[in-house]
Amino acid sequence: MYPLLLAARYLRSRLIPLIAVGAVALCVALVVIVVSVMSGFLDMLRNSGKSLLGDVIVSAPLGGMPYYGQFIEELESMPEVEAATPLVDTLGLLRMPYPAGNRKEVVPVQVWAIDPPSFARVTNFRDDLYWQGRDDDTRESMMPDDPRLALGDSLLGQGANLRDADGQPGIVLGMHVSIANARQRDGSYRPRYDWFMPGMETVLTVVPIGESGRVGAQRDRRFEIVNELQTGVYEIDKNRVFVPLEVAQELLQLDAAPVVDTSADPGPDGNFPVIGTSPARVTKVLVRASEGISPDALRSLVEARLTAFTDRVNGDPTLRGRVPSNIGVLTWEQQLRDIIAPVEKEREMMRILFSIIYLVCAGLILSIFWAIVAEKTRDIGILRAVGASRLGILSTFLAYGLTIGVIGSAVGVALAALVVRRINDIHDAIGQDAPTWSWVAALGIAATASVMALRYAKRGVLLRTLLWSITAATTAIIGVALLLHEGTLIWDPAVYYFVDIPSAVDWPTALFTALGGILFSVVGAAIPAAKAADTDPVEALRYG
Amino acid sequence: MADASPSPVPPILEGIDLRKTYRIGRVDVPVLRGASIALRAGEWVAILGSSGSGKSTLLHVLGGLDRPDAGAGDVRFRGESLSAWRASRVDRYRSHDVGFVFQHYHLLPELTVLENAALPCSVGTWGATRLSGTDAVRARCTRLLESCGVGHRLRHRPAELSGGERQRVALVRALAADPSVLLADEPTGNLDAANGAAILELIAARHAAGLTVAMVTHDAAVAARADRIVRLVDGRVEDHVN
Ligand SMILES: Nc1ncnc2c1ncn2[C@@H]1O[C@H](COP(=O)(O)OP(=O)(O)OP(=O)(O)O)[C@@H](O)[C@H]1O
Ligand SMILES: [Mg+2]
Repeated sequence: MYPLLLAARYLRSRLIPLIAVGAVALCVALVVIVVSVMSGFLDMLRNSGKSLLGDVIVSAPLGGMPYYGQFIEELESMPEVEAATPLVDTLGLLRMPYPAGNRKEVVPVQVWAIDPPSFARVTNFRDDLYWQGRDDDTRESMMPDDPRLALGDSLLGQGANLRDADGQPGIVLGMHVSIANARQRDGSYRPRYDWFMPGMETVLTVVPIGESGRVGAQRDRRFEIVNELQTGVYEIDKNRVFVPLEVAQELLQLDAAPVVDTSADPGPDGNFPVIGTSPARVTKVLVRASEGISPDALRSLVEARLTAFTDRVNGDPTLRGRVPSNIGVLTWEQQLRDIIAPVEKEREMMRILFSIIYLVCAGLILSIFWAIVAEKTRDIGILRAVGASRLGILSTFLAYGLTIGVIGSAVGVALAALVVRRINDIHDAIGQDAPTWSWVAALGIAATASVMALRYAKRGVLLRTLLWSITAATTAIIGVALLLHEGTLIWDPAVYYFVDIPSAVDWPTALFTALGGILFSVVGAAIPAAKAADTDPVEALRYG
Repeated sequence: MADASPSPVPPILEGIDLRKTYRIGRVDVPVLRGASIALRAGEWVAILGSSGSGKSTLLHVLGGLDRPDAGAGDVRFRGESLSAWRASRVDRYRSHDVGFVFQHYHLLPELTVLENAALPCSVGTWGATRLSGTDAVRARCTRLLESCGVGHRLRHRPAELSGGERQRVALVRALAADPSVLLADEPTGNLDAANGAAILELIAARHAAGLTVAMVTHDAAVAARADRIVRLVDGRVEDHVN
């Protein structure tokens, strides 16, 4: 028992254990915060990518892929496939409903023409629609002026079906396609200048491209905005709009059309004779895997199915449409390569940096304990001289290191959890100019401290003079820094893809880091203690 | 002292042909060069010698706090060789068989006077629930401290004590576990005459009760209290001849 009693006595005394706890806590917090944010970022990217694209993407050239309905039917008959949905994607220009007057703004957009029911089965489209009445729990946490509190389910229905109140085709915009949505501190949006997008009119301009690659004449279409979509991936929220599939097929001339024989003589009505039907086409098919099927496994299955399908269609002389040979089948990860690859590179970089940070922290903790215990070498000599065993000495300092390690790690994890959970608030605060009182206060303290330093300097008291000078200098630097600080947006959504900084604690890492903090505290205390306990007491007394 | 016949009382603690060499840089500095000393049970021996002659070194080796050079000499306690003991037996020897008073007090700053005094008893057992030891140990240490005149300082820290008071606490610590041998390294060296005399009286009282004492001193008057005086010269122990 005496090791525990002694350790408790050492812990109770003076400042040093507090400093050690602080050091361990800061080291642990540093690692947990950085790792949590980085891995949260990657997770968000992965989850959103998957929930926006499904697992596997079949991409045809712009001319499109015919008989997609049959292909999708075949896919959905496979047990590995949960659902599949057809899609036409193209580029367009969108004439916005603002500003007032005649000179409206026009923005380039990426158009996804979807079949709403099946699209919702493959992706999280419905959940991502922003303007919908939320469940009671979510409503409770909303600010009282949140416009969503007044919303019923009508906009949700309109958005999910891409139909306006009159049943006409509607358009869903990504949350940041218009400049009308102002982000609030809590992550919700308020319409700027009362430009509430749903219900407003836009005009979408697209250009059809024929199978031969010929660019056709531009086509305009008026749509009512029926909802807006927030995926959290800035690239998508900034550029993407959704319209009904059949409307886009018609605009882009990808719909089913009669084929006429221009070499024959025109009929009595002046038209060439119809000799068949050119099938409707889509440019993409998104596939969602069944539970437990990996995207990679699904990709090979879909590819095999596509090859069989292509052979069958192209080998059938009765069918007019031809499946193009250059259709790509990619997993969502491969599809999002452009976005994910730099992040993965970054993650590798971060891994190396983390190893270094971790080692530095470990070294810091080790050396702090080393210094504390080395200072106790004389005590160890005394204890050994009056009969304490080596094991007793070791246990004393193991208990000492363990206690500080456990408390420090716990404080560190708590601190990290606090910071990570509130990281968006902290970021917002940094984004503002520093409040006047903060730098006035800092400079005031600096002035007082310099006066104190001068007074002690006159009296020739060295330590006090030094401490007050250091206080004056640091507070002065802080004050000037606050004064010069201009609100900067560090987490610019345009750069980081996501609107929010990830704010979930990575608990496995937190646990691992806390255990590391405890381990290094214990080892750092144990090594010098064991070393001192191993020497003859006289030796320890002499060097203590 | 020409009498070479075997003494009637067997030695309780014996240093035989002890050699101790310190290596400073590349130079070997021999301190003990075959020192032999035998303490008979109940005897009080004073060890004299010039500064740096190796008196502290000899006492440390006898107390099991330091070891002679490998294979060079042996320390025997009640006929048993210390070098043959297991580590736990050596620990027990330090806490219960001998009491050691250092030249420089060596008290633990974080512990109170009472806890410091009881230390050999508390570290000698894993069952202690208080640093001041069991009730019996507390009572014994309190009584000893009171008889040394530091009974009113039980809860103070060593830093709050004078040099004389600290030396008395150190002496009580050496006696706490009721050892059979007391090894004292200039216990009066840093004290004024009155304090020194008080310490000596305490030792004399324990000696009268059967304690074997080996005491290093520079002071001829202090040495005169002993039954026997030896002198450390050139790393060897010589009987003192007036
Ligand atoms: N660890 C060591 N390393 C090197 N030399 C040492 C060591 N310990 C002791 N010495 C040397 O051994 C010699 C004897 O030291 P010791 O402390 O035993 O002398 P002493 O007789 O007790 O002296 P004093 O009367 O001053 O206390 C000294 O010259 C000292 O410098
Ligand atoms: Mg000495």
